[in-house]
Amino acid sequence: MIQRLSYAFRETIASFRRNMTLSVAAVITSAVSLLLVGTTFLIQRAFDNLLTQWRGDVGMIVFVRPDVTPEALGFIKQNLESQPNVIDVKKLEYLDKTQSFAEAQRVFAGDPTTLSLLSIETIPSQFKVVPKTTDPELVRSLANQYRTLPGVAGVSLAEDEFDVISTLSGFVRTVTIGMSLVLLAVAVILIWNTIRTAIFARRREIEVMKLVGATDWFIRVPFILEGLIQGLAGALVSCAGLWGLNSAWTSGVAGFKSGTGVSALVVPGSYVNGVMIALLVIGAVAGGVGSGVASSKFLDV
Amino acid sequence: MIRLENVSKMYGSELPAVRDASFDVPKGEFVFLVGPSGSGKSTLLRLMNRQERPERGNVWVAGRNINEMANSQIPHLRRTMGNVFQDYKLLPNKTVFENVAFALEVIGKPKHVIGQQVPQVLDLVGLSGKEDRFPHQLSGGEQQRVSIARAFVNRPLILLADEPTGNLDPATGEGIMGLLDAINRTGTTIVMATHDHRVVNAMRRRVIQLDRGVIVRDQERGVYE
Repeated sequence: MIQRLSYAFRETIASFRRNMTLSVAAVITSAVSLLLVGTTFLIQRAFDNLLTQWRGDVGMIVFVRPDVTPEALGFIKQNLESQPNVIDVKKLEYLDKTQSFAEAQRVFAGDPTTLSLLSIETIPSQFKVVPKTTDPELVRSLANQYRTLPGVAGVSLAEDEFDVISTLSGFVRTVTIGMSLVLLAVAVILIWNTIRTAIFARRREIEVMKLVGATDWFIRVPFILEGLIQGLAGALVSCAGLWGLNSAWTSGVAGFKSGTGVSALVVPGSYVNGVMIALLVIGAVAGGVGSGVASSKFLDV
Repeated sequence: MIRLENVSKMYGSELPAVRDASFDVPKGEFVFLVGPSGSGKSTLLRLMNRQERPERGNVWVAGRNINEMANSQIPHLRRTMGNVFQDYKLLPNKTVFENVAFALEVIGKPKHVIGQQVPQVLDLVGLSGKEDRFPHQLSGGEQQRVSIARAFVNRPLILLADEPTGNLDPATGEGIMGLLDAINRTGTTIVMATHDHRVVNAMRRRVIQLDRGVIVRDQERGVYE
């Protein structure tokens, strides 16, 4: 008898501990998975921001002959500034020979051969022009127009860069959305599986409920609520984590000089809030539906 | 109250667990299902509360063919029956009171009804004063009394008992039989599966004997043999 009592006692304690561990496991699992999902969303958005900014900065460069007269230079500048509807005058930038040479040294740092051919005397100065339109056809006709101006050595178009950026943008978006979906599926499966195990530990209770005439929904609802709360708790933890990560990221990015483009990597707070709400909904739904499906399996008594 | 018509039940491709069983249990009767292990006693009980469905034949409970009942009706069928098992099936993390109250809670009985009926039935089974114990703090006989209280608290028409004395010593088993007898006298129909010849011989009630799924004897005021 003592043996049987002690066995019953041990089983009781074990069942308690088992359930608690599983609940904690379910919460941690959903928190980690949802945090990964949320982080992917933010990374995707940050990349999107960055690419948008790059695309905005891409324009054309009007190279001016090194031996240009001041009059011709003035004429080119005037010509560019006279078209505020077509080009972004605020972003119009003139690099004189010294600045151009300094930029060349930076750009061609990995290409000493090209660099050795350049000198302050021979390098063309340049206007960096940002068209307001992103339509390649319009940009091209604009370039042809500038090419005819006296003193202009040539116009370089950023068409190639356009292509690279669009491709990169599409690629990054596909990869991050794909990752989000996979992680989301993993999160749902893990929550479902954890809850299924928790329900399996309580199958005896379910059997008794069935035999005294409880309806399936009466049995199922507490499990669904439990799963929903676990999913929601996990989502809350992941939101806290996401918020912490984003704050650290934002303050880290703030350390960079402005104009380097890195500031585009900061995700706006409204978007972060949206992602958090989405995570809460996903956590609650995945937990609730997962445990509803899992409990149905054990209702067949 | 319960009627079986040519009922056969198979598990897989093995020998049938029950073959062509027919009998009638009138209201208020006490019936023993006897026979060795594996003779089909438990299967017959499981057919009566539709934990199983027969391959052939019909099972009637309180005038309704339960094989044709919709699944949504089964909980209501089971509320008219109590179940008692050899291993009690008590919930270890609930007290005596909570275990019995559980049967009323899950069918949605209000709190004041529970507060009234549970002490009544615990008094009936002789467990007054032990409401706050947990199952592991009780003896086997006491645990079986809790299980009977849980089965009876809803005043069911029928009580199905599967080897209720199987884990108990003879004296304790006698006490449990006295309790089932008292419940039977309130008008509750009782069907009890057992291979405990002492209780069968002591009670002298109807005996239905099974052998490898077939009914070989159906006798009023019978003994075990």
